[in-house]
Amino acid sequence: MSAALLDRAALAAVRELEAEDDVAFGVRLLANTPTHEGRDPELLRHWARTADAFGAALPPVPATARIVESDGGLTKGLLARYTSRPVPTVELFTDTLALAEELIDLLGWREWYPAGSVRAAAIAHEAVHERLHHGPAKKTLKQALNHVVLRAGRHTLYGHVAGADEIAAHAHARVACGLGRSPLLLTAALATAAEPQHGSATGSSYGREK
Amino acid sequence: MGVVILLVMAAGVAAMLTRKLPTAFALVILAVVIAFVAGAPLTGENSVLDTVIQAGAPALAATMIAILLGSWLGKLLDETGIAGTLVRKIVEFGGDRPVVVALGVLAVSTLVGTVTGSAPAAMLAGIIGIPAMIAVGIPKVTAAGTILMGIAAGMPFELPIWQFFSTALELPVETVRGFMLKLFPFALAAAVLFVLIETRRRGVEHAWSLKSASAKPVSRRKQLGDAPWYALLTPVVPLVLALGFEVAILPSMLAGVLFALVTTTRPREMNKRLLRTLYGSFEVAAAPIVLFIAIGILLAAVKLPGAVESLEPLVKAVSPQNPVLFVLVFTLLVPLCLYRGPLNVYGLGAGIAGVLIAAGIYPAVAVLGLATSYNQVFGVSDPTSTQTVWSAQYAGVTPQQVMLRTLPYVWAVALGGFCVTAASYL
Repeated sequence: MSAALLDRAALAAVRELEAEDDVAFGVRLLANTPTHEGRDPELLRHWARTADAFGAALPPVPATARIVESDGGLTKGLLARYTSRPVPTVELFTDTLALAEELIDLLGWREWYPAGSVRAAAIAHEAVHERLHHGPAKKTLKQALNHVVLRAGRHTLYGHVAGADEIAAHAHARVACGLGRSPLLLTAALATAAEPQHGSATGSSYGREK
Repeated sequence: MGVVILLVMAAGVAAMLTRKLPTAFALVILAVVIAFVAGAPLTGENSVLDTVIQAGAPALAATMIAILLGSWLGKLLDETGIAGTLVRKIVEFGGDRPVVVALGVLAVSTLVGTVTGSAPAAMLAGIIGIPAMIAVGIPKVTAAGTILMGIAAGMPFELPIWQFFSTALELPVETVRGFMLKLFPFALAAAVLFVLIETRRRGVEHAWSLKSASAKPVSRRKQLGDAPWYALLTPVVPLVLALGFEVAILPSMLAGVLFALVTTTRPREMNKRLLRTLYGSFEVAAAPIVLFIAIGILLAAVKLPGAVESLEPLVKAVSPQNPVLFVLVFTLLVPLCLYRGPLNVYGLGAGIAGVLIAAGIYPAVAVLGLATSYNQVFGVSDPTSTQTVWSAQYAGVTPQQVMLRTLPYVWAVALGGFCVTAASYL
């Protein structure tokens, strides 16, 4: 797949994406995450903004996970993946990264996404997942989102907002790598460019990895 | 003659394995050929047309109705948002601990598995449950396996299955229920261990997916609000009635349908919803009902006097009578219930069970132990069974990956079932 293969309709679709604000992509992500069906779009927007602010404010830390590179990301519909076992590992999919770089040039987005920044963003993104998985930050994120599911006297139980950690990871990557726009904009553009490949691979299945 | 029948059965298995014929068609053809080979006349007593086809086809009618009611209840759980609400609440309460979410989805799957089976059960729990688990970091194969292990843990209490084994093996429902109660702890323990061990072994997985910011919502689920908390008790209503109050299976399931309806639906919409979900359930139940018609025909064929006479010496010679050998041999044979193999109880396995009983090789209740234990394996790991295929594909993995991950656990369940059978009934 090459970004040069983007047809006119796809290009127009990407230009429409470009006009949207970054929080809107967070709202999309939440809306696409099961358990949020039927939720008020305003509530989703509030959560997206909160998670974005939380991720952006996270202090940068060096990634400790092992980093490996592999091919086949476009078929799987993935740019990067973090796995905690057997040892914490960040897997970078080189074909998707290459397509991302090509797409950035084609769309004239180099100012937002400097050369090599996507790879760095992927590592920073997965480092947040590692941090949220192992550290106390996930509790802080939950409290920031303020999704109260149970209240008994002084005790408050905050509910988990599925997908919020993903928005936080993208926001952190944006800030840590000095990107001009959210990686979610690039993700949406990549999905448009790579649609025939990962679309056919997954068929009618849910088939995506968050 | 017995050897010829066995060769015919082997040909039938080959036709099913190679997918030359759909299982139901293969079973009917098999039944007719077996009947002819066994010397059955075309019409009259113990004949091909009157006994095998005419009497065999509706032999499992009660099971078919139970399947239909289970599908109806499943449709209601879906349309009223009961299943979705259960999963959503679990994610909200336990979402920052993947293992808690997986155990919660497992519990929902178990509840759903008591109501209905096959792909509809997997869809009820999995449409929200699988992506929800993936969203909190559960690896995809584990997510698909959790749904299947959960359904299998509920299977010992799936009322249509009680009805099936009761009718097919000519055992009282109480006997079937008694054995299922003994099988359940093994199925539950394996399911819980699967979640605990696999989430620990595989850890969590998070991915930067290209679809995460796509404009089209990925979820196929309609936008439904939360069902009221008391409606969430629906899956346990038939179970409590059948298990606790010993109410018959069909009325217990009907009670579940009514409970789901009155707890979620405004009176003026009840008729419409009842009819819509009932008609929808026919589509869901069509495949298993066709299969049960075919199994009824096959059972009638293998129970013909000529077939029993021919098969008895052969089957007797290879069937272990020593309890230890019984456990060992049938445990080793577990893979034969996969890929529509000869021990699949919803295929030729039903015929073999019929032969074992008709020839008096094992008591019917011991055959029940064998069949239900194999069913636990088939229900989770068979890469050709609809629930396994659906769960794997929906999670974005292959059914073979799910089979490899789940097989050790369900193999252990089968071993447990065989041990109980050997200790109690041999």
